[in-house]
Amino acid sequence: MENGKVRVGFYALTSCYGCQLQFAMMDEIIQLLDKASIECWFMVERDSDEDREVDIAFIEGSISTEEEAELVKKIREKAKIVVAVGACATQGGVQSWGNDRKLEELWKTVYGDAKVKFQPKMAEPVENYIKVDYRLYGCPPEKKDFLYALGTFLVGSWPEDIDYPVCVECRLKGYPCVLIEKGEPCLGPITRAGCDARCPGYGIACIGCRGAIGYDVAWFDSLARVFREKGLTKEEILERMRIFNAHNPRLEEMIDKIFEEGE
Amino acid sequence: MYIPITVDHIARVEGKGGIEIVMSDDGVKEVKLNIIEGPRFFEAITIGKKLEEALAVYPRICSFCSAAHKLTAVEAAEKAVGFTPREEIQDLRDIVYIGDMIESHALHLYLLVLPDYLGYSNPLSMLDRYRKEIEYAMALKNIGAKIMDYLASRPIHQENAVIGGFGKLPTKAQFEELKRELKEALPMAEYTVELFSKLEQYKEVEDKEMVHMAVKPRNGVYGIFGDYVKVSDGFEFPVEDYQKHIVERVVEHSFAKHSFYRGKPFMVGAISRIVNNAHLLYGRAKELYAQYKDLLRYDNCFANNFAQALELVYFIERAIDLIDDTLAKWPIKPRDEVEMKDGRGVSLTEAPRGILAYTIEVRDGKVAYADIITPTAMNLAIMERHVRMMAEKHYNDDPEKLKLLSEMTVRAYDPCISCSVHVVKL
Repeated sequence: MENGKVRVGFYALTSCYGCQLQFAMMDEIIQLLDKASIECWFMVERDSDEDREVDIAFIEGSISTEEEAELVKKIREKAKIVVAVGACATQGGVQSWGNDRKLEELWKTVYGDAKVKFQPKMAEPVENYIKVDYRLYGCPPEKKDFLYALGTFLVGSWPEDIDYPVCVECRLKGYPCVLIEKGEPCLGPITRAGCDARCPGYGIACIGCRGAIGYDVAWFDSLARVFREKGLTKEEILERMRIFNAHNPRLEEMIDKIFEEGE
Repeated sequence: MYIPITVDHIARVEGKGGIEIVMSDDGVKEVKLNIIEGPRFFEAITIGKKLEEALAVYPRICSFCSAAHKLTAVEAAEKAVGFTPREEIQDLRDIVYIGDMIESHALHLYLLVLPDYLGYSNPLSMLDRYRKEIEYAMALKNIGAKIMDYLASRPIHQENAVIGGFGKLPTKAQFEELKRELKEALPMAEYTVELFSKLEQYKEVEDKEMVHMAVKPRNGVYGIFGDYVKVSDGFEFPVEDYQKHIVERVVEHSFAKHSFYRGKPFMVGAISRIVNNAHLLYGRAKELYAQYKDLLRYDNCFANNFAQALELVYFIERAIDLIDDTLAKWPIKPRDEVEMKDGRGVSLTEAPRGILAYTIEVRDGKVAYADIITPTAMNLAIMERHVRMMAEKHYNDDPEKLKLLSEMTVRAYDPCISCSVHVVKL
């Protein structure tokens, strides 16, 4: 804290900048910033510096270059609290969907034999490199996620994780079930709630952008069994679940289990 | 020995890029826009994936124009599988796209561009003296966001736009609400035009050789979707031929490729649309165009800021008209069944920052090939040329001044660097 103001940094790694955009687009930001000083936030502040000390560091994006791996270590040293924001920072993002293929192969597909002077890597979540104190999930996170997290920090508390699936909110809203009634491969049952079941509300199957629920209660296997009954192959099930969960350590073994069981 | 003048991380743009100006005894030796964001391989990672899932992933290329990516990808996919949407569905897609246009222009003009001209390093500290401007920015951005929210599920990474139409449509009352708020926003857009008409368009970057490219609107009205591309040299080509006329090259200082037309850099964006399609404007925007024609110069990239301000007025009026058309046809069936055939589809649309190109090839319901070229990738080469022109005029000045002017040149293009990083040729 400095002059009674919380020092905030917002840092971007490899991403679409949507988490920051969501944050910058909140009408409430005007009131919030009375209580904060922006030390580093390149998207809005020209006078930004990654070397300044901060109370709260928000990090968006996956680690996709060697330079970014170094940057997060520096941010960790300068920050009291580190918050990983959004699907890229917490789960490696949709760019991790390709991590079943080799970097060289992806590189060749996109850039051919050409070389550039930076060192690319396969996308990884931030916590593979540094200790992360809190996480805001979603692609992008909801505005209320930011408000809730900042609010708790400002009163000296911390944000609690959501440990129940999208289905809970979907039932409370009274939407028709996309999985059972429409027969579509909805990932609601394994995905962390907090979005008020937005997509199922439009009759669209959840693609899992808030990531699998933690605490080992994301039942990939049970949902895979339902998908298999609907005619999806093991590869199709894995690919769908991997869009936002490519780095989940339990996903593959749980799907394997279902397919080893047989019909 | 000269130390290069560098901006490591250009502030107030979407994405991560830097500027490097290398000097020698003879003046400016080299100017490079370094694109330092990591690659995300979007086209490569979606190969072999289910079409619907790939369509959920493509918009994640960019947050400022996720609706543009979504709708362009969906159109390319529909063409690939041999489906043409009903006119009322196309109108609704236009409305969603306009929501993106309004939000993106408002954010760019007020929060990214204006602080430079008023002498601030960030838009939030402008609040004390320029409260009205910030409030207008928020209100304009909010109506754009609300359109995307109501029609397409949310302002960033919309899921409710699918092959065949929409999962669900807003209520009639929600359309009425949008129309009311658009009408309230119109005077703010006109104020934006007035405000930006006073901002300097730096003569240093005047470039008589500038070539502009824009999609020729499909229905004879200034807009977003089309089947041909117009070039300001008089050439026209069908969108399917874009890979012949927009040629990409890898450069070593960037994860983004550079694009060339007939071997030379070209520009896309709001000013390129005006240069090619101004005769298709109507309503208040047409009057304002006549009034401010001299500021909408083809030979100065800074005119892009003013062109965006004019487009705010145009697209707000256009959205009101499209909502009227929609309500006249109410009720509307949200979605048609689409039979998945194999094929290849190309869609070029006018994203807030200029032409966005998608090719998608579908085989057995899966993506067999994808090619995406984003407006910023198309603009990188000409952007470098104009930063160089700026540097050539100011290399003897205070480096801080040169840095700011170089950044302002880049910002005039409204670059979306995340977008540009992942361009693919298979």
